[in-house]
Amino acid sequence: MKKVLLLISSLIVMLTFTACGGSEEKEAAVKDTLIIAQGADAKSLDPHASNDQPSSRVSAQIYNGLVATDMDMNIVPALAESWDQPDPRTTIFHLRKGVKFHNGEEFKASDVKFTIEGMIASATVHHIISAVESVEVMDDYTVKITTKKPFGPLLHHLAHTASSMLNEKAVVAAGDDYGQNPVGTGPYKFVKWNSGDRIVLEANEEYFLGAPKVKNVIFRNITEGTNRTIGLETGEVDIAYDIEPIDKKQVSGNEDLELIEEDSLGIAYIGFNFQKAPFDNKLVRQAIGHAIDVDIIIDVVLDGAGTKANSPIGPKVFGYDKEAKGYDYNPELAKKMLTEAGYPNGFKTTIWTNDNPVRLQIATIMQDQLKQIGIEMAVVPVEWGAYLDGTARGEHDMFILGWVTTTGDADYGLNALFNTATIGGAGNRSFYSNKDVDKWLDQAQSSTNPEERIELYAKIQKQIQEDLPVDTLYYNTQNAGINKRVKGFKLNPAGHHKIYGVYFQ
Amino acid sequence: MHKYIIKRLLLLIPVLLGVSFLVFSIMSFTPGDPAQLILGESAPKIQVEMLRKEMGLDDPFLIQYGRFVINAVQGDFGRSYTSGREVFGEIFQRFPNTLILAVIGVIIAILIGIPVGIISATKQYSLMDSISMIGALLGVAMPNFWLGLMLILFFSVGLGWLPSGGFGGWKSLILPSITLGTGAAAIITRMTRSSMLEVIRQDYIRTARAKGVTEKKVINKHALKNALIPVITVVGLQFGYLLGGAVLTETVYSWPGVGRMMVEAIRSKDTPVVLAAVLFLATTFSIVNLLVDILYGFVDPRVKSQYK
Repeated sequence: MKKVLLLISSLIVMLTFTACGGSEEKEAAVKDTLIIAQGADAKSLDPHASNDQPSSRVSAQIYNGLVATDMDMNIVPALAESWDQPDPRTTIFHLRKGVKFHNGEEFKASDVKFTIEGMIASATVHHIISAVESVEVMDDYTVKITTKKPFGPLLHHLAHTASSMLNEKAVVAAGDDYGQNPVGTGPYKFVKWNSGDRIVLEANEEYFLGAPKVKNVIFRNITEGTNRTIGLETGEVDIAYDIEPIDKKQVSGNEDLELIEEDSLGIAYIGFNFQKAPFDNKLVRQAIGHAIDVDIIIDVVLDGAGTKANSPIGPKVFGYDKEAKGYDYNPELAKKMLTEAGYPNGFKTTIWTNDNPVRLQIATIMQDQLKQIGIEMAVVPVEWGAYLDGTARGEHDMFILGWVTTTGDADYGLNALFNTATIGGAGNRSFYSNKDVDKWLDQAQSSTNPEERIELYAKIQKQIQEDLPVDTLYYNTQNAGINKRVKGFKLNPAGHHKIYGVYFQ
Repeated sequence: MHKYIIKRLLLLIPVLLGVSFLVFSIMSFTPGDPAQLILGESAPKIQVEMLRKEMGLDDPFLIQYGRFVINAVQGDFGRSYTSGREVFGEIFQRFPNTLILAVIGVIIAILIGIPVGIISATKQYSLMDSISMIGALLGVAMPNFWLGLMLILFFSVGLGWLPSGGFGGWKSLILPSITLGTGAAAIITRMTRSSMLEVIRQDYIRTARAKGVTEKKVINKHALKNALIPVITVVGLQFGYLLGGAVLTETVYSWPGVGRMMVEAIRSKDTPVVLAAVLFLATTFSIVNLLVDILYGFVDPRVKSQYK
């Protein structure tokens, strides 16, 4: 018996020591490590192999693009100092000189060519750059990008994290494992990645805009929202992304913590299937638009973290039209419209949603609200994979989904959701088709004149809000909880918040 | 004995083939296109098709399965659809995290469960017995995620002694392994108690007492060894379950273990990861079972003679 005990205790000691190498380092040091918690681990730090937010949030610290967006989604220079457009299909970029990658290589025009050609060949991010026909190196610091046809949103697409500039030598050297060994020009260098747990970055002292103030940044993967808040409270975490609605008061009520909220580029919408009666009837769709009390949904489900929408794209997106018509809550009018449409006693229908708790709650509230105008709506929760498949094939009646216009340009949001060409899995899951809208979308995409584009997008938004293939409920507000000793942190509308500029007080 | 072990190991092959076929079919025939899931709802159709081709998803089911088996036999389980990492490397990076929790959890469970079970049995219907049985009932009834959160609230938020989650340092091991160990401890306590109660009523125990052997020796030497067989079975099973990744505990403590990895992979239809993880766990589970069977032999020589 004694032997067994001895064996067990020595086993514990042994295992504890092997598992805990290097734990003491962070406790002893002065505060020069910023710990950020997000709800999922990154998938890959190769910008050409991933297009998910957890990955972008880390990649955005490691890489730079040719251009970037500021807090209001305006285009600003990054690795390109300036650019000019000799004709509508051609843009010439003049690159910043003396920029070094983390492996010591200098950033040159050949890297731009390598990067963009890599994007074109990548299944994951091809759509961001599909408009580009060719990239030509004019000299080491000048590069010419030609599009297949004039393409208005080009700069917004080049500012996307997927368009981060890569170093040919680093990519080739790492081969298939590049996603775990990223090399960029950005303010932070990759150090290590404990899969499922954390990604460690350190300051790039030679960053072209000056060395970052915080020396180490750790991205921790804390799946449960409550645990991210707990981490903030205990001081284990300095910044926690995406505080759950239920925890918001916990953060804002704590005197050491602060809750930051900001509009994002995301929307939540109810889609109608145009292929099925009665949703082929405009009056029915509009009636439902008037029957939903969005304010209650924002209050109850989001705890205020949203703004009622009047268009399928948000105020931070280029091309947003604040004049577009929103749908007020007006059950009497809804009832009248329904009668006019030939359904005085309402009808029976279903709404699809995946297991996202926010969407389930919205569906439940809607169920009650639609009942008041006589529509019996059953809520059908569908597993995510089946949901995407089924809605792409048009098996649904109504559905709830979201969209994020990640480029910050109306084209990325409106074209995917409403062009006849994108019907089905490509984004237009309401099977909406309107020749005018198609024409305007194409014109706006191929115009390089900003005023003309704004005008066209205003026309499109008016038409969409009239036809109402989708009823956009609200614009998502994004948030983060931070410890008050963290200064200089701002939320980026696209979701990949920049850590450069953050410091400890 | 050798023969027996080899036979058992060989039996693993059909088990693994069966498991892999089952998992592969489930992953293939449930709705949801992995390519679409990887690219997200906003991906253009052409792009999804490009990726499907790249991943070989357009081939017939049996060809896909055959390709998997041929590669797997050569030790190549492919790369994750979502992260592009080599699947086996990923599992080996995560498995030690799960293993250490499972080992410490089981040790805690044994250290609590067996002594408490013995005391309960020898002092049946005493106050001690009632307390430990109520404790055991609570231990089984408390959901892991609830206990985990309560421990975090008390020790991390309230007292600030221990980290609330993540993997780093011996301190981070304490709460998750207690959470894991509690349920197992409760089951082991109950099993030890009932098995012990049965044994101490046997004639040979009465004989031992009649010979004048001290009570301590009667319990520890004569009774315990004979009562251990069902307990070992339960410990083995519990260990197996814990190795399978305690998903809830791992989630509550943001622990980078195999269980969470598998659940995330299932959600994103990352077939290579799911397959490799399930096969890996099936193998470890079978090996733990085999070890338990071998252990029986040491505890009870009668069993040993049957291993041929």
